[in-house]
Order: sequence, then C-alpha cells, then structure tokens
Amino acid sequence: MHFDPAVLVDYWPLLLQGAWLTLQVSVAALVMGYVAGIAVALIALVPGWLPGLVTGCYVETLRNIPFIIILFVVYYGLPFCGIRLPATLVGTTALALFASAYYAEIVRAAILALPRGQFESARAIGMSPMSAMWHVVAPQILRALVPPSTNMTLTMMKESSVLSSITVPELTYQSLVVQGNTFAPFEVFAAVASIYWLIAVVIAEASRRLERRVGAVQAEAVSRNRIADRYLSLVARRT
Amino acid sequence: MGFKLNYLLSILPRLIGAAAVNIRLAVIIMLFALALGTALTIVRSLKIVAVNACIAVVISFVRGTPLLIQIFIAYYVLPAVGLDLSPEVAGVSAIAFNSMVFVSESMRGGLATIDAGQIEASTALGLPPHAIWLKVVLPQLFRRIVPVLINEATIVVKGTALLSVITVVDVLRTAQQIASASYRPFETMIGSALVFLVINLVISLSGRVAESRFAAARV
Amino acid sequence: MSAPPVLRVSNLTKRFHGVTALDKVYLDVHAGQIVALIGPSGCGKSTLLRCLTWLEQPDDGFIEVAGKPLGRELMPGGVVRRQNRRQIDALRPQVGIVFQQFHLWPHMTALENVVRPQTVVLGRPRDEATRRGIELLTRLGLADRMDRHPHALSGGQKQRVAIARALAMDPALMLFDEPTSALDPELVGEVLAVLRALAGTGMTMLVVTHEIGFAASLADRIAFMDHGRILEEGPARDIMAAPKEPRLRNFLDLVRADHRIVTTTVTPTE
Ligand SMILES: Nc1ncnc2c1ncn2[C@@H]1O[C@H](COP(=O)(O)OP(=O)(O)OP(=O)(O)O)[C@@H](O)[C@H]1O
Ligand SMILES: [Mg+2]
Repeated sequence: MHFDPAVLVDYWPLLLQGAWLTLQVSVAALVMGYVAGIAVALIALVPGWLPGLVTGCYVETLRNIPFIIILFVVYYGLPFCGIRLPATLVGTTALALFASAYYAEIVRAAILALPRGQFESARAIGMSPMSAMWHVVAPQILRALVPPSTNMTLTMMKESSVLSSITVPELTYQSLVVQGNTFAPFEVFAAVASIYWLIAVVIAEASRRLERRVGAVQAEAVSRNRIADRYLSLVARRT
Repeated sequence: MGFKLNYLLSILPRLIGAAAVNIRLAVIIMLFALALGTALTIVRSLKIVAVNACIAVVISFVRGTPLLIQIFIAYYVLPAVGLDLSPEVAGVSAIAFNSMVFVSESMRGGLATIDAGQIEASTALGLPPHAIWLKVVLPQLFRRIVPVLINEATIVVKGTALLSVITVVDVLRTAQQIASASYRPFETMIGSALVFLVINLVISLSGRVAESRFAAARV
Repeated sequence: MSAPPVLRVSNLTKRFHGVTALDKVYLDVHAGQIVALIGPSGCGKSTLLRCLTWLEQPDDGFIEVAGKPLGRELMPGGVVRRQNRRQIDALRPQVGIVFQQFHLWPHMTALENVVRPQTVVLGRPRDEATRRGIELLTRLGLADRMDRHPHALSGGQKQRVAIARALAMDPALMLFDEPTSALDPELVGEVLAVLRALAGTGMTMLVVTHEIGFAASLADRIAFMDHGRILEEGPARDIMAAPKEPRLRNFLDLVRADHRIVTTTVTPTE
C-alpha cells in the first residue's frame, strides 16, 4: 500500500467545490435552523400545557430519529405535498429542521437559566422592558448560548455529509465521485477528512474567540492535589 | 395520492424485523465503546505526555470529522491496507471507535466531579492503583455518567442507520427496498422514522428509570 | 409633621389566585425615618415591597412616593386612573430596592452595575455617572473592589454594591428585603453599621426583617404585619417594650426565644 497524493491532482477543484458547498449549506441551515429554534423555544415558554406539549413533541421527535431518515422523509415528503425543489435546497431544509430542534433546546435552556430577578431588578430601577432586555437579559443569554450553539453547529456541519445520499454535491458526495474515478480510497478520504477536520478546527477556534468576546462562562480547571490527580485528571503536565 | 395508512401498517412488521439488525449492532457497538472508552480513559490517566498527545490528535480527528466519513474510511480504506472487513464489521468498528472517544470524553468530565478526598483516603490506606480504579473510581464514574451513556446509546442507534449506505440491510435499507417495489417512499420512510423513534424513546425512558433507581440506591 | 410623608400606602390589597397576600395595608413613612417591617413568614412583607416597586400590581389601594401617586391615582370626582408604563418607570428610580438575593448583574463589574442604570434611566453623562458610582462605592468601602465582577465579591460586598446601585438613582426612599438573611450571622453587625451610616445621611428607609434585635436597634418605628395586615405600628421602643396586639406579643416571645443569642449581641445594652 502506498500513499500517493498525486492521484488527486486533477480532483482538488472538485473537492474544494464540495467543501464550499458544505460551508454554504451549513451556514444556510444555521440561520434557518436558529430562527426556527428561537421560535420553537419562545412558543415552549408560553404558559399552559399545550405549547409545552407541542414543542416537546417537535423536539423529541427530531432528536430521536436519525438525520438520514429525517432527510429522506423530507426528500420524499415535499414531492408528496406537491413541492418540487432542487436537492441542495431539500437537503438544507432538512438540515435546518434537524438543527432547529437542538437550537430550540439550547435557547430554551439559556432563557430558563436566567433568574427572574435579573429582569426584575432592571425594571425596578426604572429601565423600560426594552432597556432591561438590551442591557441585562440579552447579554447574559448570549453568553449562555455561544458554547452549546457552536458545538451544535459543528455537529450539524458534520451531519451535512449525509446530504450526499440525496446527491447534493457537497464534500462527501464529491469524495465518493473522486473515489469512483481514482480507486484511491486512502488518498481521497485522507484528503476529505482533513478538509472536514480543518473546518471543524476553524469553527472551534472561532467559537473560542467569540466566547472570550462575550465573556462566556468558562469551565474552571479544578486544581486539586497530586494524589487525586493521578486518577481524576487526564491532563498530562510537561515537567 | 393521499397518505395510505393501511400501507404503512402493512410494512411495519418488515421494518420492525429489520430493526433487530440495528439493535443488535448498537448493542455490540455500545459494549465495545464502553470497554474501549474505559481503557482509553485509564491510559490517558497515566499522563504519558507523548501518548496523550497522540490520543488528543485522534480525539480531535474523531470529533472533527463526520461519522459517515469515518464509516467510509473503515469500509473503503481498511481493505486497501489489507484488512478486508465485511460491511457490518467495518461499520461497527467505525461507530464503536467514534463512540469510544465520546465515552472517554464524558468520563473525563465525570472524573472531575469525584471527591478528591476519597482518593487520598484510599491511597493512604495503601490500596493498589488497580483496586482504586476498580473499587473506588469506576463504580462512581459509571453511576455519574449513566445519563450521558443513555444519550450516547441513542446516538449510536441513530448512527447505525448510516450503515445502510455501506450495504448493511438495516431498517433504512429495508425501507428503500420496499419503497422501490411499492413506489410509496414517503409512507415507507415515515414507517422507518417511527421505528427509530420508538427504539430511542424506549432507551431514554428506561434510562430515566435506571437513573432514578441509581439515585434511590445512593440515598 | 406637616410635610407629606415620603411613602404613603393606603388600603393596599393584593391577592394571588384568591390568596390574600396584602389586606388593606395602610402605612406612612416620613422623611428621615427608618421603619422596620416585621412579621411571621408568609405574612406578605416581600409582597408589600414588590408592590411598592410595582413589580406586583396591587389589586386595590394607592401608593404615594414623595407626594406623587405611583401606579394608580385618584382623579377628581373619585375616578381611579391607571398610570401607563412610562409614568411608572419614571417614578421607579425614586424607590430604591435592595433585594434579598441582591440580583446584581453578573456580566458587569461592580462599578458598571452602579453606572449603567444612571446612564440608561436618568440619562446622566457617562463620566458624571462614573464619578457618582466611584464616590458611592468608595463611601461603602468598596474602593478596591470596583472592577470586580459580582461572582468575585463576598455576600456583604455584593449587598453594598446593590445598595450603591439603588442610591445612585438618588431615591427618596430605600427598601430592604431581609438585608441580613442572605449573609452569615457574623455580618449582621456590619449590615447594621452600613444601614446606620445611611440613616446618618438622612435617608428614609423601610426595612423588612426577621431579626427582631436588628429591628429594635436600627429602626425608629416598627410595623408588625400578620396575614397581610399591619396590626400594630409605633415607635420602636414602645413596640418592643409594650406590645398591645396579642399576636405581636406572641410573635415577639417566639422570636426572642429563638434568637436570644443574636438579640443579645446586637441590641445595645440599655
Ligand atoms: N407569586 C406568587 N404567587 C402566589 N402566591 C404568592 C406569590 N408571592 C407570594 N405569594 C403568597 O403571598 C403570601 C405572602 O408572601 P410574601 O413572600 O410576601 O411573604 P413574606 O412575609 O415575605 O415571607 P418571608 O418572611 O418568608 O419572606 C404567601 O402566602 C405567599 O405564599
Ligand atoms: Mg419575604
């Protein structure tokens, strides 16, 4: 077995096109999914049992079905309802639908985590509801949102690989095309995995910066004694 | 062309039959993931700098690439390096490897919540390291990460649906076969969605019951 | 006294789903007075304070702050007019409240907690607001803690930031909900000192407390509340020495038995 990156030389443009589409689809699904997620979360917070039940069913259903099945349900369901869309749009919609359930939970948890007293203390001092939202509530919710949201966005970007099964020409689809042409699986998948990895590392780094910007609560490293650390810590210290 | 509920009901038995494949594979994967994840955690706790650095790269890779790509690597690349695996085995290895990393990462989080005093006490009592792991650390750790493991189990079940892409005849592939004969793909897909929904809801609910048992046992 | 009271509460009534939390409450607090509001748990003390800041809307009755009606006003001819949100918000800075749990804003530094409401609510220029914030925090002994976020402050320090935040709005009246209860018992003396210092500046205060000794050593007047009504109100000395209301007598006996230690440490020897 030899590793020969040269076999890919004619196929880099194809792979990069695929990577570009992966990014586009992910960003579009992020925006669509987040808007839907916020809507679902706000409905979930409406008092009464019905909104909670409906949104709960929405979230639990989407979270307990494999994304590939959601994708096929949407893929066959839209024509069933008489809607015909290009595969890329169908795939993006399905991805947004899938992600919206998780974003909804993230948003709901962030809102619920904020103590009522925060809003009340701002109102009691004379801030208008809008000012209280802007100066007190929103910054705190934002801080709580960033880490789980970027995490979910990373997951969603990876799930977008499944769109290959409905012929959306994103990165994974292109990798299968190139694999079919070159019969060089090692080179192809090494290249494709590296591209995904790179995207993931970039997203993770960007989110870390964003977290620092908004002052997200960082998990504090528990410093303990050396004996306990032998078992309870997995951090190798350079000595 | 309305929604044919009768048709959906008529194919459910075949889909449920195929679900046995997903469940069987998911169980195997979880067992491997637990065993390997625990082993990986213990290896990481040895804090050998070079080893942990390599493991960190592997973890970053597994977390940074799609599961589908990892499955393709097991399916297409491993045979090219002389490891000719059946689709099932290739798929199980890929998901188990992926899951192992997530199990080990949740163990890392769980370890941080264990009271340091117990370890000191155990060390002071002269317990050897393997006894501290087996008798003190791991039992508490497993109890703590039960919710995470339950969640991971549902993720693994969902992951097995991807194996249809590499020709494993699971719920999804069975559904596709049925649909190509009946020309009713929508109802068929709804059917397979229901099958997965039920499996995962059962896992989550039994997990919640197990959790409350554990919680009760602790008091 | 002929000047209008800083706070005048009349006939204030508040029900929660049929439970009457406030039952026709009447209370006057005059300028420079410290009134302690005591009473058993669940009698409606917190509800009264929340109504005075309009965080709860009373079902009936009137509130006047420094002569101006808050929330609801009686028009000539006996018509009751509800104020709109803007009118209420405009009066709110006049009533400073220090919550039991302080509710500082954790994403701002101590100083910013004090500065931001001044700029947002009163429209003060930022440097003026900052000057005022620094002055208040320094006066409250927090000169070296101003740039810290609330999570890096002790309970007592948080409380003082909350006090500064309210004082920065130049309120006519300060409300305190159980100022000693979220703090360690050893800090009771410290809180007492802070509130006494505040009293020294002529601030008018209404202080809800469980600690009878605290009330006795701080307040000019004591109001006793039970089941949503103020049953007895008078000079602190008289209330402590000769309670008329049997339920108040009971309450005092009960609390004195419970809090003998605290009472003896805080009450000045007579
Ligand atoms: N939001 C609410 N909904 C329903 N009932 C309430 C609400 N807030 C207060 N109550 C009820 O009103 C009554 C007065 O409560 P409040 O909190 O004012 O008592 P309190 O005197 O402050 O008691 P404590 O000393 O324990 O703080 C209680 O019976 C309480 O259960
Ligand atoms: Mg109270």
